[in-house]
Amino acid sequence: MTDIQEVLNKIGPYEPAEDDHLLVCRCEEVTKGEIRKAVHEGMFTIEELRRYLRCGMGLCQGQTCGKLVKGIVARELGVAVTDVTPATSRAPMRPTEMEIAGNDGGEQA
Amino acid sequence: MRIERYDMIVIGAGPAGLSAAIEAAKCGIKPIVFDENARPGGQLFKQIHKFFGSKEHKAKMRGFNIGKELLEEAEKAGVKVVLGATVTGLFDGKEVTVRIGDTIKHVQGDSILVATGASENMVNFDGWTLPGVIGAGAAQTMMNLHHVKPGDRILMLGTGNVGLVVSYQLMQAGCEVVALVDAAPRVGGYGVHASKVARCGVPFYLSHTILRAEGDDHVTGVVIGEVGPGWKVIPGTEKHFDVDTICLAVGLSPMAQLLSMAGCQMNDTKGGYVPVIDEDGMTSIDGVFSAGDVTGIEEASSAMIEGRISGLAVAHYLGYIDDAEKQQRIEEQEKALDALRQGMFAPQNRGKKIEKTEEGIPVSENLLDKGYIADDEIARYPGVTHKKGIHPVIECTQNIPCNPCQDACKFGCISIGDNITSLPVVTEDSQCTGCGMCVASCSGQAIFLVEEDVEPGYGEVTMPYEFLPLPKKGDCGVALGRDGKVVCDAEVTKIRSAKAFDHTNLLTIKVPNDMLMKARFFKSQE
Repeated sequence: MTDIQEVLNKIGPYEPAEDDHLLVCRCEEVTKGEIRKAVHEGMFTIEELRRYLRCGMGLCQGQTCGKLVKGIVARELGVAVTDVTPATSRAPMRPTEMEIAGNDGGEQA
Repeated sequence: MRIERYDMIVIGAGPAGLSAAIEAAKCGIKPIVFDENARPGGQLFKQIHKFFGSKEHKAKMRGFNIGKELLEEAEKAGVKVVLGATVTGLFDGKEVTVRIGDTIKHVQGDSILVATGASENMVNFDGWTLPGVIGAGAAQTMMNLHHVKPGDRILMLGTGNVGLVVSYQLMQAGCEVVALVDAAPRVGGYGVHASKVARCGVPFYLSHTILRAEGDDHVTGVVIGEVGPGWKVIPGTEKHFDVDTICLAVGLSPMAQLLSMAGCQMNDTKGGYVPVIDEDGMTSIDGVFSAGDVTGIEEASSAMIEGRISGLAVAHYLGYIDDAEKQQRIEEQEKALDALRQGMFAPQNRGKKIEKTEEGIPVSENLLDKGYIADDEIARYPGVTHKKGIHPVIECTQNIPCNPCQDACKFGCISIGDNITSLPVVTEDSQCTGCGMCVASCSGQAIFLVEEDVEPGYGEVTMPYEFLPLPKKGDCGVALGRDGKVVCDAEVTKIRSAKAFDHTNLLTIKVPNDMLMKARFFKSQE
């Protein structure tokens, strides 16, 4: 299991950067700085970041920013992009209105 | 709850999914294909350029015509395609939830083939969310499906084949492409695609990136800068362009979420999150197959073959064909697929710098750096020969799997041989009649006809021309060099269009003899 404190000690404190204001997840309006800061608060996987910041949880479901977020986390942790644990895929794969999701099976209640 | 059952459920009606369904249907299976889009064919109908490869890969056919053929074949084979059908989940027991209209249906398959393709990558810079920053795929959808011009002045980021091909298409649609920019130090796509853009006068900025998009509520400009060590922009290298559109062609990522959700073993690679599959496309889950870009980014031609292989594998899995038949039929497809995965741009060479061709000829540095072959580099390639009478000049300088030019010439002027990636050679003693079939057959628009001394001191250059309106005989203008710069005055002496040319017109211009090896494009003077 990952020792969170050990990783945090290794990567050092969050340092503000010039491009921290850049919007990364446009659906949920999450910036690069927020993502970088979250890594230093112990969010190392895409799953954790999604729950913590909601990046990748909007209309496009991370189709646009997924790769960008992964790159930012990898750089912050000093690991390869492929070493960052990707998000779990869950149904529904495409945004679905609650009314329709609730009517699963196509039979009116 | 009612669950419908099918022999085979195909998710995605693009080149891979349709091809798989066709092969399976031919073996007696009744497949059902779901696609979330309003039209089938995936990206094929956006591809208005001619494809590479050889005859069995449908080379020199335009993408949308390949799409049409595929749809006809699917209909004939009895493949049922349901459009506007979004698959929202893939579960245990090969159960699929699919949204059609306002209902979610459950369907179950004895086999599943996931061919969901890929989505476009993005990059971010200041202003990247402004209206006017679009993906190359969006530009293609607007132009080629809906006949809407994406913008008037456009900067393209990315010099892979998508960036190059879409830049050319934008110009065909009447847009001005002000520059092609790539953070990589070398052009990523085929040199022939780069050359046809460069000779229209589009500058290439390699090792450059976008610093910011300008504008308040839409793009009005863009600033690029040169990338130095550590991917930092070198101060003082900033360049501004007035543009209304910034087009991004920075790669694709497989859309494999359904496979991951189903519990397939996945592999996180540089090219994206992809399922682990065997040589027939079966994932770690028995009866769940995958083909096309979702298994790793390639192009439509290989996706179609992968699809056919998986379709046959499904037929075998369900017991519709025996071992021997599967073996024999897959072998043919594998041979065709193998041919496409050869040459300088083969998957195993991705990211590598190749210095010499298979023939041992140095690759044009200028082509990789600026998008065109320098005048002093061109003579070293076997397709470029000097003769008195009319003859082809083939400016094909990289080993790519493509050979339609060889068959196009009925007089044996052009030879590639059995190795599909070899550079075309103009044979010494053959008689060129100037028919122009080779010029029109070259998907890379890299073949020209050159004839010296048509009249004293002047000769003619015939070039492929795919812009409208077509120049007319007698039009005067200027000839542009490979670099897109004016080399001399020129007059149109002939313009030929024929059904066999498939919309590649042959434009012949008269230029001084000493410009015959320099003039490669024509611009009318208004």
